[in-house]
Order: sequence, then C-alpha cells, then structure tokens
Amino acid sequence: MATQEKVDLFKDNKKEYAATAKPALVEIWPAVYLSVSGQGAPGGDAFSAAIGALYGVAFTVKMARKFAGKQDYTVSKLEALWPGMNWDSAMSDKEQWTWQLMIRTPKFVTQKDLSQAVQTLLKRGSEKGAGAQRVELLSLNEGLCVQALHVGAYENEGKTMATMRAFAGKQGLRLAGAHHEIYLSDPRRVEASKLRTILRAPVRKAEK
Amino acid sequence: MRTITLDDYKRRMLRVLVHIQQHLDDPMPLGELAGVACFSAYHFHRVFKGMVGESVAEYVRRLRLERAATQLKLGSASVIDIALAAGYDSHEAFTRSFKTAFGAAPSQFRLARQMELAEAPSGIHFQKPITVRFRTLHRGGSMKVEIKQLQPMRVAFMRHVGPYDEVGKTWDQFLTVMGKDGYLAGNPTMLGVCHDDPDVTPPVKVRYDACLTVDEEFQPSGEIGVATVAGGAYAMTTHTGPYNEVGRTYSEFLGQWMPRSGYELGNAPCFEVYVNHPESTPPEELLTDIYAPLQERAKGARE
Repeated sequence: MATQEKVDLFKDNKKEYAATAKPALVEIWPAVYLSVSGQGAPGGDAFSAAIGALYGVAFTVKMARKFAGKQDYTVSKLEALWPGMNWDSAMSDKEQWTWQLMIRTPKFVTQKDLSQAVQTLLKRGSEKGAGAQRVELLSLNEGLCVQALHVGAYENEGKTMATMRAFAGKQGLRLAGAHHEIYLSDPRRVEASKLRTILRAPVRKAEK
Repeated sequence: MRTITLDDYKRRMLRVLVHIQQHLDDPMPLGELAGVACFSAYHFHRVFKGMVGESVAEYVRRLRLERAATQLKLGSASVIDIALAAGYDSHEAFTRSFKTAFGAAPSQFRLARQMELAEAPSGIHFQKPITVRFRTLHRGGSMKVEIKQLQPMRVAFMRHVGPYDEVGKTWDQFLTVMGKDGYLAGNPTMLGVCHDDPDVTPPVKVRYDACLTVDEEFQPSGEIGVATVAGGAYAMTTHTGPYNEVGRTYSEFLGQWMPRSGYELGNAPCFEVYVNHPESTPPEELLTDIYAPLQERAKGARE
C-alpha cells in the first residue's frame, strides 16, 4: 500500500475545534465516535473505568487496522456529552450525572473493526473484555452550535455556559440538546486553573 | 557504615582524570576507566560528562591536541609527526581539528609567539599543573528528585540497535504489534531501557529496548521478547521537553545531583518512562521520568 499521510481529525477539522473565550457560532459536520455511556461522578470509579475501556478499544482498533496495512490515524482527544445537565442545580449530586464519553474516529472505522477489537480484548481477560463490550460506534450530527473555550476548573463551566446561552439568545437562538465538552488538557498533568476545555451546544431557533 | 559524599566522588574522579593523563596514548576501555575509581561501568560516561563537563573522548582528544600545540610551540618535530603522535592518521584531519580548537592551522600556530589556550570546563590542560575544577553543582543540587522503591516489572520489549533519535520507528512497530493484540488496553507503562550511552557508543551500535508492561500470561514471539525490569531503590527525576534533549538531564542527574546525594549508582541500566504521548503532545511539553538504580548498601549507609 502506498504510504498515505496519517489522518488527524483534530487538525483536519480545525474549524470545528477552534474556540476562544468569546462564544461563536460554528457549523459542525456529521461525525463518528467510539463511545461509552454511564452514570457517576466525574473522576469516580465508573467514570475512570469507562475512560480505560474507551481508550483500550480505540488503540486496539487503530493498531489492528495499522497492522493490516490500512490507513493510519491519530487517536483523537477525549470528548463527552452531558445529557440532562441542570446547570441551576448542577453541583448538587454528581453521582446522578450521566455522560457519554467519546473519542472521535475516522468514518472508515466500521462496526466490524469494533467487533474484532472487542473479541481481541475478551482474550485479554474478563475485565478488559467486559469494558470493551460497552463501547459502541456513535454518529452525531450536531449542525449549528454555539461554542466557546473554557479555561479553568471543570466546576466553573457554568459561567462559560451562561455566556454561551446569552450569546445564543442575542442571535434569536436557544441551546437545545446535550452539551458537548472537548478536553484539550490532561487533568492529571495540568493544574485545574489552566485546564482548557471546548464547550459546545447545539442551537435551535428560539420560539417567540 | 560511611556516607558517600561529594568529596568521595571528586576524589575518585580525580583518580580517573590522572589515569587518563598518564595513559594518553593507550587505548582506554570503559571497564578499566570505571574500575580505576570503582564507578559502575553502566553509568561511568554520564557521570564523567556530568562532573567534568566533557565526554571521555572529548577530554582525551583535547589533551592530545593541547600536547601537540605545546610540541609545535616548543619543539622542532614535523607537523605530520606531531599529528601522528596526537592520534591522527593524516595531516588534513589533524589540521581540521587543530584549527577548530586553536583557530589557526598548526604551521601558523607554530609561528605565533604566544599560545592562547581556550579554558576547558574542568580546568585541566596538558602542560599546566593540575588544579581540577569540577562543574559547579548548583543546578544538579536544585534538581527535583524522588527516591522510589519499585516492584519488579514484567515487560514485553522490542530491541532497537541504531541511532537513539530513531527509536521512534521501533516504538511505532512495537506498539502496532502489541496494540493489535489488545496489549495497549489497561493503561500499561511505556518504558525505554538504553544499554549504551548515546554520547559515547557509536550511533549505529546503540542498544535500546522499547518496553511495555505485560501480565504473566504474555508470551514472547517473533521479534518481541520478555524481560524483567529489576525492582528496588531508584532515584527518579522528570525531563520536560523534546526526547532529543534528554541527554542533558541525564548529565545533570547522574553527574551533578548523584555525587552530592549520598547515594551510589547501582550496576544496572537506567530506564525512562514516557508519561505522555508524542502524537498528541507538543515536544516542549513531553515528560520523561528517568529512573537511576541505587545500590542498596549505599542507601542503608545514608539512613
């Protein structure tokens, strides 16, 4: 096979991952993700196990394809949807939070690639196998979104979301559906006040 | 038991420096040099460079050149004879090195009345009485180092023989083969074990093992072997920045921090742990934890 450039979705879709502190409207194209959903406090056991399972599958899929001489790509950054987040009482009970962790994946990755990776991981032990079985391929079509860069602790995201909501309102739009977070920093290595996170929320026309 | 002090290190290194000076025309195998002062052969070159400020080879080359310069200035031997005595096999090669060191060709130099030597970091020059100046130790002294007790680690590895800068290719191949079989799941540790010092061993011969922690069930196959990274006491410091600058941190760590730490290096290779991934991290933010094995006895002596 001819050597092709490695696909890097983060670089190839620069416009979708460009964000500043000032909210902006961005058109998001349909995208495919490897994904695990669950419930529990961020950083808790269920959350960490889900991240482990997701990365385990993401790397197994990537390397199996690469070994077979198929198109190589970079494993993208971690993202998450937070459905049902109530920002007014968001800080109340984190154990009740639900999330859908995601790693964006090229569209040439198929259900068959995923199934094979799960089979491989089942051979690596019951724990890895069970985690892998929870991973699914997910297509999202978010369309028009308002997006901003949040710098600082995750706990303070409400403020940035409020400026996004106000910005949308001025355009005659309202936030609709689960908001989406894209983690640019590694929370194990970056201090909380410097964490960079893209916040994204789909918008609809506001009813008069 | 006695504590190992910075003075011990200095005294021992001085023995090595004198030995080299007395045997400037002899081959100097690593084991012999390290043995002169009871240094671990594994780490000798890095300790030397860290303390003295130049590698053994650079040190020998410079002393030979300085001797040649003295002979040019004071003696009447022909340039080619002086070149041969300095270990060069041609007039051209000697002239090139000489010009780099002294800024003039040997024949021009001979004409000049005054020899102006560049000051070496160690303060040792061929024709001067020895007053050794080891590098100041403030940088190594402020280095952030942790002492860790490690459990033995079972690792799968793929060996790379060749320039250190090219280990990335071996990693790529290794991670592909391991990854396709699911061995990247479960957040395994990525380690590098370098069996040679890239500053000393010719690049084509540098041996490096790309390693990934695996469980007891993993079986070696093909190009992938299994080894155990020894447990025990290690000193650990973190290098922040591109992989190709890791040598500088080694030099500070083993040559500056270690001699004043009260610890003695063990006779096993250092290893590196790659904390973040080069694919998704800008080079200046890459983190490499460097682990240096410690002698148990020396550790006991300190406590």
